[in-house]
Amino acid sequence: MMTSSLLNSMVSTVAAIAPDTAGNAAQPAAVGHGPSWVLLIPFLPFAGFLLNALYAAFGVKSKLPAWTTVGLLACSFIATLSMFMGYDGTPYTVQAFEWFSIHYGDKSFVANFSFYVDTLTIYWMLFVTGLATLIALYASEYMSHDVGQGYNRFFAAFALFVVSMSCLVMGDNLIMLYLGWEGVGLCSYLLIGYFYKKPSAVAAAKKAFIVNRIGDLGLALGVYLTFVHFGTVQYAELFASETLQSYMAAASHGDFGAIPGEAQWIALLLMIGAFGKSAQFPLYVWLPDAMEGPTPVSALIHAATMVTAGVYLIARMYPVFLVSENALPIVAWIGTITAFLAATIGMAQFDIKRIMAYSTVSQLGYMFAGLGFLTPTGGAYHVLTHAFFKALLFLCCGAVMHGFAGQLDLRKLSGLWKVKGWGIVSLGMLVGCINLAGVPFTAGYFSKDTILAEAFVTPGYAFLGWVLILTAGLTAYYTFRVFFRVFVGPVEYHPGDELHDHDHDHGHGEEHSHDAGQHGDHHADHFHPHAPGWAINTVLVVLTGCSILATGLYFVGADKDAHTKHYADTMVSASSASYHSHYGTHAFEYYEKDPEHYPQPGHGPRGSIDAPLAMPLTGGDPHKMMYYISGVVGVIGIALAWLLHYHGRTKASECKMDAIAKRFGPLPRWAENKWYVDELYHAIFVKPLRIISHVFHWVDKLLVDGIVNVFGFLPRVFAWIIRPSQSGVLQGYAVSMAGGLAILLFVVLIIVSRAGGAS
Amino acid sequence: MVRVVDEEHASLGIGLGHNTRDGPVRRVCSKRFSPDFGNERDTVEQIIDPIALYLICGLGAAGVALALPRRDREGGRTMTIVGGLLLAVTFGLGALMLGLKAGASDSPLPNYFFYPFAAIGLGGALRMITHKRPVYSALYFIMTIIASCGMYLLLSAEFMAFALVIIYAGAILITYLFVIMLATQAPTGDKDELLDEVDAEAREPYLASAIGFVLIGLLTAAMFRGIGDLPQPTRDTTLPQAEDAVLLNLPRKVDRVLERNDLLPEGWRVARDAETGRAILDVDARTITLELVDGEDAHGHPNVIATRVLTSEEWPADLSANNLDRLGYNLLNDHPMMIEVAGIILLMAMLGATVLARKHVELEEDLKAAQARKLGAYIGDQQGGAS
Amino acid sequence: MLQIIQPAQLAFPEPVEASVIAPYLFVSAAMFVIGLVGFLTRKNMIIMFLCTELMFQAAGLALIAFGRHHLGADGQTFVIFVLCVAAAEAAMALALVVLLFRHRESLGASAWKELNG
Repeated sequence: MMTSSLLNSMVSTVAAIAPDTAGNAAQPAAVGHGPSWVLLIPFLPFAGFLLNALYAAFGVKSKLPAWTTVGLLACSFIATLSMFMGYDGTPYTVQAFEWFSIHYGDKSFVANFSFYVDTLTIYWMLFVTGLATLIALYASEYMSHDVGQGYNRFFAAFALFVVSMSCLVMGDNLIMLYLGWEGVGLCSYLLIGYFYKKPSAVAAAKKAFIVNRIGDLGLALGVYLTFVHFGTVQYAELFASETLQSYMAAASHGDFGAIPGEAQWIALLLMIGAFGKSAQFPLYVWLPDAMEGPTPVSALIHAATMVTAGVYLIARMYPVFLVSENALPIVAWIGTITAFLAATIGMAQFDIKRIMAYSTVSQLGYMFAGLGFLTPTGGAYHVLTHAFFKALLFLCCGAVMHGFAGQLDLRKLSGLWKVKGWGIVSLGMLVGCINLAGVPFTAGYFSKDTILAEAFVTPGYAFLGWVLILTAGLTAYYTFRVFFRVFVGPVEYHPGDELHDHDHDHGHGEEHSHDAGQHGDHHADHFHPHAPGWAINTVLVVLTGCSILATGLYFVGADKDAHTKHYADTMVSASSASYHSHYGTHAFEYYEKDPEHYPQPGHGPRGSIDAPLAMPLTGGDPHKMMYYISGVVGVIGIALAWLLHYHGRTKASECKMDAIAKRFGPLPRWAENKWYVDELYHAIFVKPLRIISHVFHWVDKLLVDGIVNVFGFLPRVFAWIIRPSQSGVLQGYAVSMAGGLAILLFVVLIIVSRAGGAS
Repeated sequence: MVRVVDEEHASLGIGLGHNTRDGPVRRVCSKRFSPDFGNERDTVEQIIDPIALYLICGLGAAGVALALPRRDREGGRTMTIVGGLLLAVTFGLGALMLGLKAGASDSPLPNYFFYPFAAIGLGGALRMITHKRPVYSALYFIMTIIASCGMYLLLSAEFMAFALVIIYAGAILITYLFVIMLATQAPTGDKDELLDEVDAEAREPYLASAIGFVLIGLLTAAMFRGIGDLPQPTRDTTLPQAEDAVLLNLPRKVDRVLERNDLLPEGWRVARDAETGRAILDVDARTITLELVDGEDAHGHPNVIATRVLTSEEWPADLSANNLDRLGYNLLNDHPMMIEVAGIILLMAMLGATVLARKHVELEEDLKAAQARKLGAYIGDQQGGAS
Repeated sequence: MLQIIQPAQLAFPEPVEASVIAPYLFVSAAMFVIGLVGFLTRKNMIIMFLCTELMFQAAGLALIAFGRHHLGADGQTFVIFVLCVAAAEAAMALALVVLLFRHRESLGASAWKELNG
């Protein structure tokens, strides 16, 4: 109730500050200062990080770090909630301290350690801190086998991640964003490589870090170019700058020739950064490997929050993207390609966590496509719903992995619903799956529709729309493939052999102390999976509830004045990530009401807007159309999955699909091997680089080291020459003194006589 | 000899040679060593031929190098004699060159006494560094000091001359002698095998001599170039260092001299400036103002009853500022801080010397044994020589 | 003899040309260099210190000669301070020599060369 009243007040202010008239909604130039307790949001997790580091230093061997982290993150979440409640519709900044403040001539470079709070920030921070709290609670149990070993380290990195994410989302300038961006990258690296004794984890961590370098280079160049072109990196100043306003005025008429190429390049460079962080084609390869990290990490960082940083970046810098002719179309195409490609790979995987990873990549593709289809609202809404249900799915997978000694192969697990103690996990999995599959009236269904419909509204993207619809079907198929294989059907399970080896020696009691953990091929009757405890179950229940309740967000928070339809729409539209406020009201509605004055959106192919093209099937509201289409497609996908993976299945490892897959020839095998993209990258980039590095290694060893060694050797030779002078014989020093005096006198005399006699 | 000089230069006192009170002064003033006129070559050539100077430097270097101590078995004795001869030749050459130049030019030259003092001083110095026995070195150094004192006298630094004899020859060198005697076992006879190894031979004599005499060539070149630019001294009587001007600051001395010459009746004294307390006398016109004082007034100023001026005829013959007056006045008036510093340095040196010298040293066993062996050999040698 | 030192004859000295003090300066330089050569060549620490005293003497002579040329008492005053320093140095140096001799039973400066100072 409180939320709705707040929403109303917020919405009215949104209407006040975003008059949708001339196409350009002026951001308030003067941004007020907010309450300083907002600083608690990043600084509480930071305190958690410091405390955990302290625990690590003192070798704490209890669950203290988990409770510290959960407590502080919960406080941070409460602070975020207060921020949400107290937000009066006017963006404000809160300065922690002055960071960079350089003034030269009439220019200046200002990037303070301060936080910019507007609706987009609040929207993002709510689920970042909320999910972080829940997942920290989950991890307190999940990581329990590492208490006293890596437990402190895990939670320190976890807390540091939340700090970095806060900086990324809340920073009031691009430098802060960059700081957070690199911070989350670092934490991601640390947490993927958490099991640093496992070579594959180390390799995955390195891969994630290195692939992200490429994107980060783009981001850094984009930030740099932003400063060079607009003279500021602060959001408030940037969005209020007259230069950007004039560009947007030009872009709204499709007049991209009037915008300097330099300004258009900013978006392209930032886009590369977003592709790296959000695992878009061709930089997506790190994300599936990142599943080597502990599952809570996969859930929080690699599904819910960090990977959406790219979406956030584009949403936050949306005005800059709008003035670039090619950036958003590229985003749309890349997003679609990624979504489709990842879905095809996901269909053929057997590791359930990997399937979820590819599904994450695929869903991120949806979000990017949404941004590209000029609906940042859709992207952001999908971010939110996806955050809940994908975190839920990951945590369910994690629970399975935890309980079945690291077993993740869907061919070795079956009928978990019927196993005692796994009901909550199975239920959570079902809720997550129906969301991901886009079963009608779920949150994932509505958020996906928001994006899909826009593909047919925004001119030129109808093909991409069809591809995404197909992808939605594939998604439904592979999602329920997991569900039907693992959670229903005949009960059968084989324990895995990873990670939990020592689990049976301590931490979980005597009932599991048999040798099943060490040998993966033991039969089910020898192995008793341990059901998740209260912490995991609580979190799963809460997340299941959140995933279901997220549906409600589609029906609340609409604001007729601002032409926004639901909560996410309202939140996003009131921020810089608003397509509406930049180009008037919602494009479609505008078209419906007044086709004559339909504003040229400026994106997609130029030319007239054909109504039949925009609405190829119904000619009516594309959103309503999409309700039916995607609902049908989703159900078809689920039905296929049921038919191929559940119907008549008697063993965990065999199903009807095996026979059908043979008909496709090598395709399933290629898909299982991820279309050999990794191998391709290896051949194209890694191999040549390795050869070059070998060449340079020898150059370094022979040439550079040689030169350095010569320089190291010269002083030694010199010392060898002059060493006798330090003989300790007093008169030796006196001789050099006298000789020096003589030489000095001689020089002075020469100088004096050169000067032409003393004067 | 002394009397002859005295008669010849009676008006100069113990001054510097050929100057007279009237002639040379004017000549000096007329022929200034101005930068555009005089230069280094001028100055050097007035005294000695530069070529001859550098030749003398070279010869001296060779002589010193030869004369420095070395072992007898390496021909040390002969070499020393050859070196000594070489040095003597150098001295002779130098004196000859100076004399020749003096005869040929009209520039003023030092007093004749300079030559023997210089010869004795340098000879003593050379012998000091070439003698193998430290005691003799110290004694030769005393000779050098006494010759320096002679030169101080020639340079009108009478007080310093005698202070030098007392402090250096009398105190410092005696300390050196004590230490030498404490620290070395003086062998008897002339056998240098019995000499301490550190005394018997020099290290790097040729290199050191070469450096030294390159340095002397450069030093003289630099000095002679520089002194051409020295400001011309004048007799500005307003300056405190000028002739007798220091008397203005020494009213009590004037009082005493006047009293000694019965020029000061009872109750009179030299008039003093009320502000500065300086004596009122004119050192150029040679007049002295006297005053009769009776008690003090309310402000503590003396009550002057009568004044009187002594004319230049009445100026007492022995009323003049001597070397000691000027030195003392300069020392105490211009450099009081440095006196304090010198006091601290001396105090520290005394403390340091005390601390260092009273340290008890435990010799290591092998050193003790070596010393005992040395002593035994020495005693054995003594006995062997006696028997 | 006494007549030489009569007060009347200790009157204020006359100004002299630079060429008059030049030979004194030459003697001073020569004395300094002889001291230097002695310092460089002799191994006995006592002789080395004597040589430094000789260099002090040379400096003093130059000071007196210049002071004579300037007709001031500053040169002589400085010689007083040179004497002071020389005395202080002699006291310290000799105390050191005695101490070092007690340690090594040798007056050679090279007996201490392992200090590498």
